[in-house]
Formats: sequence, C-alpha cells, structure tokens
Amino acid sequence: MQQIASSSSAAREGGLKSVLQRFPFVPALIILVALVALNGFFEPRSLSFGSITGLVSTYLALMLLAVAQTYVVYAGDIDLSVGAIVSLVNVVIIVLMEKWGGGGLTVLAACLVGVLTGIACGVVNGIMIAGLRLQAIVATFATSIFFTGLALYVLPVAGTPAPEAYWLTYGGTYFGIPFVFYVVAAVALVLGILARMRLSTQLLAVGDDAMAAFQSGLPVTLIRIKGYVLCGLFSALAALCVTGDTASGDPLVGGKMTLYSVAAVVLGGSALSGGAGTVTGSVIGALIIGLINSLVFFVGTPSEWQNLVQGLAILIALMAGVLVSRGARA
Amino acid sequence: MSTETAVSTIKAPSRAIEFLKRPLVVALILIVVLLALGEALSPGFASPMQILRLLIVASVMGIVAAGQNLVILGGREGIDLSVGGIVSLAAIVAGNVMNGADGGILPALLACIAVGALFGLFNGLGITLLRIPPLVMTLGMLGVLQGLLVVIRNGLPSGRAAPALSSFVTQPFLLGLPGIIWLWIAIGLFMAFLLKRTVFGYRIYAIGSNEQAAYMAGVPVKTIRVGLFMLSGMFAALAGFCLLGYSGSSFSNVGEQYMLPSIIAVVLGGTPLAGGKGDYTGTMAGAVLLVVLQSILTTIHIDESGRQMVFGATLLVLMLFYGRGRAMRG
Amino acid sequence: MSELLIRGARKAYGATLALRRGDLHLLPGEVHVLIGSNGSGKSTLCKIVAGSVKPDAGEVLLDGKPVTIAGPQAARALGIGIFYQELSLAARRTVAENIYLPALPVKSGVFVDRATLEEKARRVIADFADVAGEGFSADTPVETLRADQRQLVEIMKALATEAPVLIFDEPTSALDRAQVDRFFEILRRLKGEGRAIIFISHRMDEIFAIGDRVTVIRDGETVATSRIAETDQATIIHQMVGEREELATPSVAPAVHATSRATVLSVQDFSGPGFRNVGFEVAKGEILGFGGLHGQGQSSVMRAIFGALPHQAGSITLNGKAHAMRSPREAIAAGCAYVSGDRRRDGILQGRPLLENLTPIHFLRNRLMLARPSRLRERALKPLQALKTKFQALEQPINSLSGGNQQKIVIARWLIDRPDVLLLDDPTKGIDLAAKTDLFALIRELAAEGMGIVLYSSEDAELLNNADRILVFNSGSVTRELTGADRTRYNLYHAAYEAA
Repeated sequence: MQQIASSSSAAREGGLKSVLQRFPFVPALIILVALVALNGFFEPRSLSFGSITGLVSTYLALMLLAVAQTYVVYAGDIDLSVGAIVSLVNVVIIVLMEKWGGGGLTVLAACLVGVLTGIACGVVNGIMIAGLRLQAIVATFATSIFFTGLALYVLPVAGTPAPEAYWLTYGGTYFGIPFVFYVVAAVALVLGILARMRLSTQLLAVGDDAMAAFQSGLPVTLIRIKGYVLCGLFSALAALCVTGDTASGDPLVGGKMTLYSVAAVVLGGSALSGGAGTVTGSVIGALIIGLINSLVFFVGTPSEWQNLVQGLAILIALMAGVLVSRGARA
Repeated sequence: MSTETAVSTIKAPSRAIEFLKRPLVVALILIVVLLALGEALSPGFASPMQILRLLIVASVMGIVAAGQNLVILGGREGIDLSVGGIVSLAAIVAGNVMNGADGGILPALLACIAVGALFGLFNGLGITLLRIPPLVMTLGMLGVLQGLLVVIRNGLPSGRAAPALSSFVTQPFLLGLPGIIWLWIAIGLFMAFLLKRTVFGYRIYAIGSNEQAAYMAGVPVKTIRVGLFMLSGMFAALAGFCLLGYSGSSFSNVGEQYMLPSIIAVVLGGTPLAGGKGDYTGTMAGAVLLVVLQSILTTIHIDESGRQMVFGATLLVLMLFYGRGRAMRG
Repeated sequence: MSELLIRGARKAYGATLALRRGDLHLLPGEVHVLIGSNGSGKSTLCKIVAGSVKPDAGEVLLDGKPVTIAGPQAARALGIGIFYQELSLAARRTVAENIYLPALPVKSGVFVDRATLEEKARRVIADFADVAGEGFSADTPVETLRADQRQLVEIMKALATEAPVLIFDEPTSALDRAQVDRFFEILRRLKGEGRAIIFISHRMDEIFAIGDRVTVIRDGETVATSRIAETDQATIIHQMVGEREELATPSVAPAVHATSRATVLSVQDFSGPGFRNVGFEVAKGEILGFGGLHGQGQSSVMRAIFGALPHQAGSITLNGKAHAMRSPREAIAAGCAYVSGDRRRDGILQGRPLLENLTPIHFLRNRLMLARPSRLRERALKPLQALKTKFQALEQPINSLSGGNQQKIVIARWLIDRPDVLLLDDPTKGIDLAAKTDLFALIRELAAEGMGIVLYSSEDAELLNNADRILVFNSGSVTRELTGADRTRYNLYHAAYEAA
C-alpha cells in the first residue's frame, strides 16, 4: 500500500541487495552452514563422510521433489500432487521389477516406465491447470487423490520388496564414492542445463506477470504445461530415490512429502507468487529440513518433543526466509 | 465507454440458464442426483436414517469449512492449512477437559475455542504483520500443531467424550434431528447474518475484492484479516469438539482428513480461491455434496483404489463447472 | 512493406462496449496517429491488431488479404509489433531478457545464448544510450528502473521485433523531452524504411510533430481520417468531442475566491516522497486547483494528506486541529475525503454490489456494527441522485456500470456523511463528458454549501473552468499561484513548463 513511491529509489543502492537479487538462496545457504556447524558442535561424528552420505541418501528424494515443485512455483503455480506422483511411480517400478524378474536391464526398463509415468502425471496436471484453467491448489489436490487411487490399484498394500540389484546399487559405493553422489552430480548437471535453457527464463517471466508474458507473445499455456511436466519428471526421479532408500513399494509413501516440498521451496528463497527463485535454493531448503531434523535429535531433545521442536524450527525458518527474500526484492 | 450507449447492448443469457449455473443450485441438483443414484445402486442409501448419518458427517466438515470460507473470502491468497491440526488438537483438549463427565462439557468447549482462537491469532499476526503468505504461514503452523499433538499424546491420556456430548452429536435432539445438525443450521444462520447484515461482513467482501480500495475507504484491513484467521481457528476447534462427540474418544490426527476437503467444499460451494465473492450457503451444499460423493463410493462395490480414482476424477469434473480462471485473451 | 486495413472491429466486455466500429487504414511508410479521449476504444483497437484481444466482429486485411490474428504470437508471425500502454515487462528479468523475451536467441539447440542476447540488446540500447539516464544497462533488472526507463525498455522491445507494422500505444507519457526527441528520430528512420506505424499520444504538439495522417475515434467509433497537414488542433478536438462539446464549458463563471471565509484545511512545510515544502490553505467554500504537468507531486500531496502516503515533514491542520494523518482511517475520521482517478486500483470493489461500494465510509464515520440494507439504501440514494447516477438496482455489481457511473458511485460513498474537505485526484480520468459535467456541477454545489475542495486534473480546461485558485506544481513544489484574472491557459502552461 505504501511502497508505491519508495521502491524505485531505494532499490538502487546496496551491494548486498544486488547479491541477494542475483543469488536469492544466499540466506538459505547461511542457515544451512549454521545448521551444519551446530550439528558438528553437538555431534562431531555428524560431519563424518559416512554421516553425510547417510543424510544425502535420506534426503535426496526430498531435494528432487523440492526441485520438482520449484519449476511450477517459478510460473506462480503449485503442485500438491507431487507426493502422490512419488507413490505412484514407486509402486509402478516395484511391481514391474518384480514382474520382469529383477535383473539389471529390467530394472532400467522399469525405471524408464516410472519416469514416463511421472511425466504423464505432469501432463495431466498441466492440462487441468494451464489448459482448462482450474485453480492449482484444489485441482492438484484432486489429481493427487486420483494418482493415489492409481497407486493403490497397482499395489494395494505396502510391502513388496525391491530387487536386490536395485537397492544394492543405490546404497553401493563405486570407485570409493557412494552411488548417491553420482546421482547428485548427474542431477546437478541436468539442473545446470535446465537453468540455461529458454524454458527457465520463460517460466519465470510467466510467474512474474502472466498477462505481460502473454502479450509479449509467449505461449503461456504451453510454458505452464511444460513446468508441470518438469515437475512430474523430477517427482518420478524422487520416487526412484525413495525406492532405493526404502527398498520396497508403498502406495502411500509420498503423501507426507508434498507439504515438505513446498516448505523447502519457500526456505530456498523462491516466492510462491512466482517469478523469483532458484532450484539451488530449493535443494538447500530440503537439506535445511533434513539438518533441522537431525539437529533436534543430536541436541538430545526427548523423543516426544522432537516433532514440535522441528515444527517450530521450520516455521521460524520459513518466516525468516520470506522476510529476508522480500527485503532483497523490495 | 459513454454512459448512454455502453450499457445494455449485449443481450443477457436467459434467466433460467443463469439460475441453473449458480454453484448452490448445481451442488443441490448434484446432491439429489447422487442420492437417487445411490438409492438405485444400493437400496436404502437414501433412507432417512442414512441421510441423517451423512448430514452428521457433513456438518463436521461444514463447520471446518465455515472458517475456511471466511479466510478465503478475505482474499489475498487466503487459505488455512492449519485447520487439520487444530481439529485434532481441540478433540484432545476437549477429551481431557471433560474426561467423560457431562459437567466438563462447557469448560471443554471454552478451552477448545480459546485454543483455536489462539492459533488463529498466531496465523493472523504472521500473515498481516510479517506479511508471510497464508499458505506458508499456516503450513508451518500445521507442522507445529502436529508436533504439539505428539507431545500431548505422550503426556496425557486420550480422554473421553461426555455422554451428553455423544448423544448431542449422534442421537435425535429436536424434531428427530441430532443436535449437531441444529448446531450446523445455527452456524449457517450466523454466517448469513455475519456476511449480509454486519459491517464486519461487508468489510470481508471489501478486502477480498480489492484490498487497496478497501484500505483507501478506511477499512481496517489487518484487523479484519486477523479476525478471519481467528474465526477459522475457532470453527476448526468447534469441529474438533463435535468430532470427539462423534467418535467417543480422540485418536491421532483425526483432523487431517479435513484440511484439503474443507477447501474443496468452499470451492464447490462457489467461492473462488481468489476471494471477494461467494457465501456460506453454497459451502454448506458443497460439504454435503462432498460427503454424499464419498459415501456413494463406499457403498458401491469397488475397492479403495477405484473409489479414490472416481473421487478424484469427479472432483476435477465438478471444478470444470465453476472455479475456472479467466482466459488470457479476453 | 505492409498495408493494414481494419474494418468494423467491435469488442464488448460484459455489458460495456469498448469498441463499436473501429476502422483504420494504415499505409507503409507513414506514422498514423490514433486519437480519442480516454476510453474511446483506441487501446482496444490496437490490442485487437496485436492479437491480445479477441474481437467480437470485424475484419483485418494485411496487404489486401484477410487474416485472422489468433493471438500475440500469431501477430508477431504476421509482422506486427506493439508497445503496450500498460507495458508488458517481467519486472524481475533483466532489460536484455525483456527486450528479447518472445524470441530469446539459442545456441547448441537448447541453451539461451547469453552473449548474443547481450550483444543484440546492447545494439538496441545504444540508440537511447545517452538519453536513458543512469543505471540503465542490458543486465539491469527492470524492477529497479524508473518509470521513464521502463517505458524505454518497452519501446526497445517493440523496436526489436523489427516488424513491418509497429503500434505505439502512448509510448511517450513518462518520457522527457530528450527521450521523446530521440524516439521521434528513430520513428522517422523507420518510416523511411517503409514501416507502417500507429502512434497514440495525448500531446497535441507530438501529434503534429510526428504524424502523417490522423484517425479520430469517439465513443468506440472511427469518426474521421485526415492528413495532418490538412487539419488543425481545433478540428481534431472538435471531432474528438463531437456535438457535446458545449457541455464541458460551464455556463457560469467560477465564483470569486472567498477570502473572508474561514480556513478549513491548512498544510504547511509539507514534504514527503515526490514533493517538498508544499504549503497552502483551503477556505470553506473554495475550490483550490492543483495544476502543472502530470506527476509533479500533485497526487502525492493529496495522498499524503489523506494518510495513504507517509510524509516526512510538515503539518496538517483541519478545522483548526492538527492531525498526523498516519492512515486513511485517521484522515476519514477527521473529516477528509479522497477520490482517486485510478478507480480500478483505489476505488471500486470489483464484482461487489453498488450498496457495498457505497457504504464503507458511512460505517466508519458512524462507528456502525450492523448493516441494515433498507436503511443503507435510503441513505445512499440522495448522493446518487445528486450525481445523476444511472443504475437499475443497488444490488447490481459495480462492474455492470459504465466508467463514469462507477466513478459516481465511488464519489457518492463520500457524500452520505458530508466530509469537510474533499480531495479530488484527477477524478474525471477516463469518464465521459456528460458524467464530468454532472460531477463538476455537484462539486460547485458542495463548495457553495461550505465544503473545502482540492482539485487536481490532468485536463487544464477542467482546472481553468472550475478552480477558484490554482497552485502550479513543478518537480514536487508549488512554483506559482494563479488567482482571479491570472487564471489563463497561457499562464498555466507557462508556469507548468518553465524549468521543466
């Protein structure tokens, strides 16, 4: 209400501000470093290679899911079905791997089908929200019910184990480096490529002002659909990691992850209103959630209090994140 | 746009079609159709007893949706995800305060309302003073509430409903209807009065339709918004209180199933998530529609997966009736 | 080389007819001026050509062949580029990204070619380098730019399309003299290359400086097209206004400044965002005019008095009592009223019934808790009648009224309980002449009843005809006061432009 006149003059000065504008995830990075230090202070062993590997392999799925969420948030949309997509892809690959015998090639084939499933879910979401203009929050909630139904159809009860080849590979070590770090490197490469593609800029432009983007001649509907497709793709990749981590199929495994993915995106400095953000920030946001959880454990919080302390810490971090990144944008 | 020529040159669609397109009418027609369908599929579905049972379930949902409705009407991406946690918390608080004794009902009710108002106040202050987006603030608050539930559950017995409360909710109270349905009707009248006959109600629509203009016309925007979130917390708490009466004792996270459905009920009732228009009468119909739909799916003989798929798909189809955004190219 | 012919274009938004019958014949190698008062349908016509608005009827012929413009993308493909009046920029993207947003250069098939992008952008920027001002470069985020710089980005974006048909919808409204001159040089060059250019502006001098032909639109209809060399300002204005011109000039001369009457509003040493050291007094029954070029602090002063903008220094005294005016609520309680010309942003509650739009001030000033529709209806009718508002029922949504009647509703909300001071911030922007006449008749009546009125208008004629006294603003300060016989168009222009 009162920012009309003051915004243009104030925004010019300040190197810190321009750093924050270019790298909106810097506050999140600072929180991350602080959390790592605190973890190390309370439990020196948490900084060991093995502990970090454990942390990464546990939270890799959430990192990928946060990335998935980021691409729709770029364009000012939201996807509350990412958790259901994770569940669906998880049971699809588990059932296929079991059916096809669990050998090396069949595992790969199953993963490919899983990824295609995720993409298909993204297409459905995209058509519903960008094409048919349904409201993102309620429409993706409805599709999440639908996807969960599909997952239950594919595998009605949790329990089918993943073939050994799958989880041994995911938890294995090659040339002295744990497999998950190869995944991290590959994902980083893909994210780097995506960040330099036209689509990232176009998604951000749509989120900034959809009408302006449309008037500029951007195919807004198609761009938003592509955002949902990317979201489906990365949700499927997250599902592959979940499957590697839990080594079994569960038609409800992803349900709880949806809201955490939104929290991670906000923690990473992206605006839910669209137009500003980075995938790097979201990855850091997911790690912050992981580190808060382990820190709460390491400081010796009684087990029944852990959830509350985690909840409070995440709420405070969310509020701080919103305030700092708005300060950078104002 | 001259005065004399601009208006009334476009012929209005016929009144009958206009009437049939109203969300309330659509919802009511669908309710009747679904009841008839249910009766055809499984005789006895639409018997008075069954309908009464459905209305009891719908009334709990409807009470949560009343608060959700207010928050959404107030605009600025208003939404309250924390209602799920508040419903659960209120059920526990009520169970412990009354602990099976009729004399404890009133103190329990007051305690619930106070708890709901308190968390609503936190939400409202974070959203107005710190300008945290409602989705983020209430999502974080949900995490805190879930943590708090774990703590309370460990320290307290689960608590029991007083007999009088249970019979109020489940047994005929007046004219053959259980007390909770009378309560819901009273809430419906209260909401109609609040929205149509009080200055507060006028101001809710004002800030939901154009916050800047409302501010310029002297509407205390922040106070109103804090009030809306407090009301949302109180309604959720009241629903938790009633839910205890329905189930007899409080069990873990009963409230979570109301979080997103309460939003769906509001949308199906004709209030768009953008706020500024709609009313609670529609939302009541939306809640009944949602419950009848769920119930019909449990009645017909398909398994859980099929039920969920049909439910999700039906919600999407219903949303196509209303709640679609505006096309870019006007 | 493109020739564009539009015939019978028509567009309605709900009950409002924005364009009734738009005709335009655009030739290659000409700057074709499109002129008409606010809301006459110029922008709608442009947006139809640019594909961002879907016409209800009419045809477009490009080089003699009928074409369907399915959307902005299709328009670009047909060789049509546009400058949008409300700008089409992504605030958080850089200048370079914005200029080439629709067609980002790509290398190796997938990556955005940053080097080429920057270089291409730099070439476009070079044309304006010496007039763009500081802090303007290819990698600056648009949100950090000034209003004139953003407008330059939008101009560059249109130029970068290199389209044979270019549309500029009020491209110069925020530009300074040097920027306009540079822009005109470029337009002349493009004209020489054979491009067809549509140019919209409200500044008569610009129209005669750059235009070849002019088409006048009135009330959504094309009235006439003529060669600039064969017409003059008076003719164009007459075509714009039509037969109702005489309505604009009041039959009675404004009352002489009432010096003897008591002061109702006194503002001293008033400084804040966009204005400094402003001081004036308003007497009961006086209409004080704010004049000068658009955006010289007139609006900011009013908003600050009303508490909608913070002020850093100075005092506000209303009815002899000092007020801090920290919020509109405080100002309203003190007896202050403010009507904004931007009714979509500051005024109307979109989609809500007239009654809800009329009552917020009444609620606040009477500290009401309950809303009794029947009593409210009664109260609301009087000011609506005084303003000659046309409506069917108080239950109809405000969007179903025309712009002028919407503004009358917004004004009427202040008159249910009479304020002591009425601040009018360009209140007639975008409303028709009949509504303006009703409005000014009422304002004079209110003044006669003892209200103190401050009026800013972007139309000089309105000020000269209605204000008893005029303060001319320049760069945030009052530079001249015009009273009595000094209130002439010449003096007003002179004071407004000096040292600007």
